[in-house]
Amino acid sequence: MKDNFRQSMKWFHTWVGLIVGWILFFMFLTGTLGYFYQEITRWMEPERPFIEHNISNEQLINIAQTYLKKNAQDVDEWDIDLPTARNQNLRVGWRHPPEAGKKRGRYESSVVDIATGEKVESRATGGGRLLYRMHYRLHYLSTKISYWIVGFCSMLMLLAVITGVVIHKKIFTDFFTFRAKKGLPGWLDIHNVLSVIALPFHFMITYSGLLFFLFTYMALSTNLQTNEDEYREMRKEIYPRTPHAQSTNQPAKMIDISVLYQQAKNSWQADELSTIEVFAANDSNAQVRFVRHETDITYNPNDEVLVNAITGEMITHTPREYTAAGIIHNGFFSLHEGQFAGPIARWIYFFTGLIGTAMIASGLILWTTKRKPQQMKKPNGPDFGYRLVEQLNIGTIVGLPIAIAMYFYANRLLPIDMADRVNWEANVMFISWALLLVYPAFRPANKAWHEQLQLAALVYIALPLVNILTTDKHLINSLLQQDWGLAAFDLTLLGVGCCFAFSAYKYKALTVDKKTSRQRVKQDKSVGNEKLLQLQRVSKGNG
Amino acid sequence: MSYLLNNINLSSPRWAVFSRSLAAIFGGYALATSSSLFIGQLLLNNVGKYQAIHIGLLFSFLVYACAAMWVFSVSNATKAWICLIKANVFFVVGAWLLMQFTRVSS
Amino acid sequence: MLILICLCFPAMVLLCLAMNKHREQVLTQTVPKLMIRFFRPLAWLLLMFTAYLSIELFGWSIGPALLFGALTIAVLLLTLLLTYRAKIVPQLAIVLPFMASLSVVPINF
Repeated sequence: MKDNFRQSMKWFHTWVGLIVGWILFFMFLTGTLGYFYQEITRWMEPERPFIEHNISNEQLINIAQTYLKKNAQDVDEWDIDLPTARNQNLRVGWRHPPEAGKKRGRYESSVVDIATGEKVESRATGGGRLLYRMHYRLHYLSTKISYWIVGFCSMLMLLAVITGVVIHKKIFTDFFTFRAKKGLPGWLDIHNVLSVIALPFHFMITYSGLLFFLFTYMALSTNLQTNEDEYREMRKEIYPRTPHAQSTNQPAKMIDISVLYQQAKNSWQADELSTIEVFAANDSNAQVRFVRHETDITYNPNDEVLVNAITGEMITHTPREYTAAGIIHNGFFSLHEGQFAGPIARWIYFFTGLIGTAMIASGLILWTTKRKPQQMKKPNGPDFGYRLVEQLNIGTIVGLPIAIAMYFYANRLLPIDMADRVNWEANVMFISWALLLVYPAFRPANKAWHEQLQLAALVYIALPLVNILTTDKHLINSLLQQDWGLAAFDLTLLGVGCCFAFSAYKYKALTVDKKTSRQRVKQDKSVGNEKLLQLQRVSKGNG
Repeated sequence: MSYLLNNINLSSPRWAVFSRSLAAIFGGYALATSSSLFIGQLLLNNVGKYQAIHIGLLFSFLVYACAAMWVFSVSNATKAWICLIKANVFFVVGAWLLMQFTRVSS
Repeated sequence: MLILICLCFPAMVLLCLAMNKHREQVLTQTVPKLMIRFFRPLAWLLLMFTAYLSIELFGWSIGPALLFGALTIAVLLLTLLLTYRAKIVPQLAIVLPFMASLSVVPINF
């Protein structure tokens, strides 16, 4: 009975994974890039100045306040984002009073050049935000439809994760086992290793992904148990918000924010400031909230300091209250988004996300590898279904990274004053993906793999070069200015390009090797990072 | 419904898979909803109404996953359908009874 | 954060040395049976210590999350090394905690 159960789960795992594998690959890859969405946006707006070292928070606050006084005078809700390790420019935002019949006013924001105190005019771009929003808001589809598609895929992913654990016979004895073999056993090992080492992440990311739209997916259950008012109250209990001051329409003079900042500095004992929010600005009720980098997954009341902007006194605010279930719910959100993560933890998030992506890719390749010997024996060539899977694999696993590179190319090469530029950046990405999905249909699988790997290497290595030709925020300058965030982006592109080049070379070597003789090509040992592993896998399994 | 589907799947294994998929997708969803109703009503007096509903919802995806796995592991599709319906009826009736009970006691 | 990875790695190495098939990969000389018995408890002890450290440094909510992240990276590194460079695993397992102890003060995570 037990073996029977395992058998049926094995079958289930295979098909559940195959049905939505490519969408999941897309979701995982774009979602993984989302961990660096601010950095990506920064790269895609090269008009922004380089990072300014040696400038104190007080000076920055003064520049921001001067700008706001000049440009957002009739507005009473301001916010200031200070330069951080992630977003290295000063950014200010303000919300206009709501227009008639609307709940909230228009929100405007601009990046301020620290040297001149003026707004930086950037090109129109979707930036990293558009890219990472694709992973739950499948670009062209309507919101509702994409939420349901994403939910369906996530549900199958959850099933794949659980069944995967069930069918893995020796999860502990094979914990470290990875045999660099060709063909099926090698691929199985790769799939297992990638799944097992990041299992907590895979489960967390899938389950929390489902929780994001909990009330959309399970609307029936809440509708049966609550009416509209109760539902609103319930949402307030689950996602509590700190109320903020409303304006009284009595103008008053505010103390400078940089002076008020002393209060926050005293209670934090360090320069940890990340955001400032001003409510009811220049009003007798004016308040300033200083927010530092998150130090808790759900909520730490000490991360916020609220100050009365007229008297300069600290206001003791009542901390938000969470229910036990609310803590779990919001904790999963926070784990999913990783907003609390510092630089190193963020890179780990990024690599773990890539492990998830690679796990899906290896699962998809496993499906074809397993059926290859049998399919090749067929007199009329492989079945339509097999060829389709192979084609989608090539077009997605190598094609999607190329398409994402094309998104970056579009940002650099499309005319700056082009109409509808933001949409065209995304259009370029999806058009190139569509082409790469179709292309393998006209080539033998082996050749298609190799050619697309070469293309991927080419586009990624050429991208920093195009950056040098089109902007002054290129690798050499960013290294000279010690703008590490910006430099890291270009370096990562080069690194990814080299990985693709290596795997293309390896793929070729293995294919030729197989044809001429049984001579063994020694596996290259310089495996440094996850991406390389993923690519090597591509070359090995199809060699 | 189950009788009908079972009749079809007798002729071909494809229909059995199709029938099971339907059972997993819709039966599983129904079970997730009804179980969340049941949990919501069960915990009502212990943790407050909103949190009770919330806990029920948090568990619903896990219930869904288990139900879908279970549907594909039983020996035939008819059995899967019948058991799913039974479980659904149990949860809905249970939730309904609990609702009556809380109404009387309050 | 780095310190967590540096401590998780030797813990994982000890766990892997406790398994026969991996011990042969890593070590050329034979190890007394008595010593092998100590590998697994030692590994768990080290792991517990790392968990304690992560909670002490980053708190109850972020600490465990970072610990799992560190474990993932450590196991990935170890698995790759076992396949391609098994011989340097013991050296690395000794060097890494030393390097970690040099940077006990976590600058940022």
